[in-house]
Amino acid sequence: MPKVTYVDHEGRASAVEVELGDNVMHGAVYHGIEGITGECGGGLSCATCHCYVDEDWLETVGGPSSQAEEELLEAVAAELKPGSRLCCQIEMTPALDGLVVHMPEHQF
Amino acid sequence: MPIDAANPVPPNLPRHVGMDQIPDHVPADLVRQSGLTVGPEFLAAPHDFMAALHHKQPPIYYDVSPMGNMWHLTKHEDALFGLRHPDIFSNEGATPFPRDPNDYFYFIPIEIDPPHHRKYRNIVDAVFSPKGVLKLEGLIRQRSNDLIDAIEAKVAAGGTCEFTEDFGRPLPVSVFLDIMGLPQAMRDTFVEWAMELLHSNDRAIMGQALAKISAYLKEAIAEKKAHPDDGVVSLIAHAEPDGVPLSDKEIFGFVCFLFIGGLDTVFATLNNIWLWLARNPEKRQEIIGRPEDIDRIVEELLRRWSVTFSGRVLDQDYEMRGVQMKKGDRVTFILPACNFDPEVFPDPMTVDFDRPRKTILAFTVGVHSCMGGHLARLEVKIALQEWLKRVPNFDLQPGTRIEYRPGGVIGPEAVPLVW
Repeated sequence: MPKVTYVDHEGRASAVEVELGDNVMHGAVYHGIEGITGECGGGLSCATCHCYVDEDWLETVGGPSSQAEEELLEAVAAELKPGSRLCCQIEMTPALDGLVVHMPEHQF
Repeated sequence: MPIDAANPVPPNLPRHVGMDQIPDHVPADLVRQSGLTVGPEFLAAPHDFMAALHHKQPPIYYDVSPMGNMWHLTKHEDALFGLRHPDIFSNEGATPFPRDPNDYFYFIPIEIDPPHHRKYRNIVDAVFSPKGVLKLEGLIRQRSNDLIDAIEAKVAAGGTCEFTEDFGRPLPVSVFLDIMGLPQAMRDTFVEWAMELLHSNDRAIMGQALAKISAYLKEAIAEKKAHPDDGVVSLIAHAEPDGVPLSDKEIFGFVCFLFIGGLDTVFATLNNIWLWLARNPEKRQEIIGRPEDIDRIVEELLRRWSVTFSGRVLDQDYEMRGVQMKKGDRVTFILPACNFDPEVFPDPMTVDFDRPRKTILAFTVGVHSCMGGHLARLEVKIALQEWLKRVPNFDLQPGTRIEYRPGGVIGPEAVPLVW
């Protein structure tokens, strides 16, 4: 199973397996990784799964996948940066094995 | 407060009811009898009533009501904060349904605060996730069309369509029964029980309804334990988080809560939306003309027609906007009013499908945000698509006077349609 590494705002990293086809928000929430809240469960309505895609992965992951994600990113609590994504919208593919995402200090 | 869901203990939380039971710390100038959910003004036009709270009442006031005295909060910002801080605004004991203290159970997961909450959500999240509910799309379309077939046949034979009974109610209830793995034959009985529990505004009737529901569900759980299937009742009955099977109390509290949450809310939402559609032909045309925007259309309609509230209990003394609340005080976040907060949604009563997306409170927020929210969105979306495809033009029956159901889920009693 592909792995994703979640790095919190103090630099602590946790690597967990995320099933192909599942999303990066679930990977965090199901493994109890604090830093990703995902309170709406992936419905693009809460803006609490904000992450910063690691620079090395930016090109592979790409930018927001829909206009709704783009709009909701405007509603996140932490600073918006070039790698900002709502990670419920990042679906695991074989190409994303090893993905690194950084988490903001707070989601709301 | 850490609680052990396997060994439930009734909380010792006082209920205050009436003007003679206002705690001393509540300032007299914040006491109101707003009439929310029970007064004639509310029942005539509940959403207008809740929008008007922003200019008629302070953002936090102490409401005295036959259903219990509590703080009401109406600001979007305050609701986001309160609902996202279960350590301050706790869910324990905040659910208003009367239980037998000698056979007490917790409603799971809504009454379980973190860290135990996630254990239960993990059991069913795969079913109710956006991806999980997509598997139900075909079924929901089929059930929608079956109901429209029956309505068209009835209308062709000279009958009339009463939307709430012919579509709004049977659609979500039958989908719920499919998901739970319970028999469709129970549909009308379930609706009746849910009505008594949620709309009687009488704690004695509510208690009796809950007793009937309990007896049925306990038998259904026993049956699924013996004969597993792929329905959610069976999934919960056989769940073993961290290798430990759930206790009977946990299984029952979980299934019972899904019953309460799953029946009435989508029903009321559809009824509200269809009443509005009947009165707004130009908006109907706009929806039909923008099929690619259906998701944002559904989101805006959910904002405009939210149907319920979030109740909490203060787990510590807490001050907000200069108002001192005390541990043990009950609080209700008036979610529809929060969705009409003019600071967040300018011109809030106008349905505008092109609003910038903001967090809406139709499904609340925080760890206890509605687990059925994605299912509800999908049901509303499919209902709109299938209905408008087949019945694009319709009106309220001339002379109809709309009355709203009293109680904690807001929707019109009946919506008779003609076309």
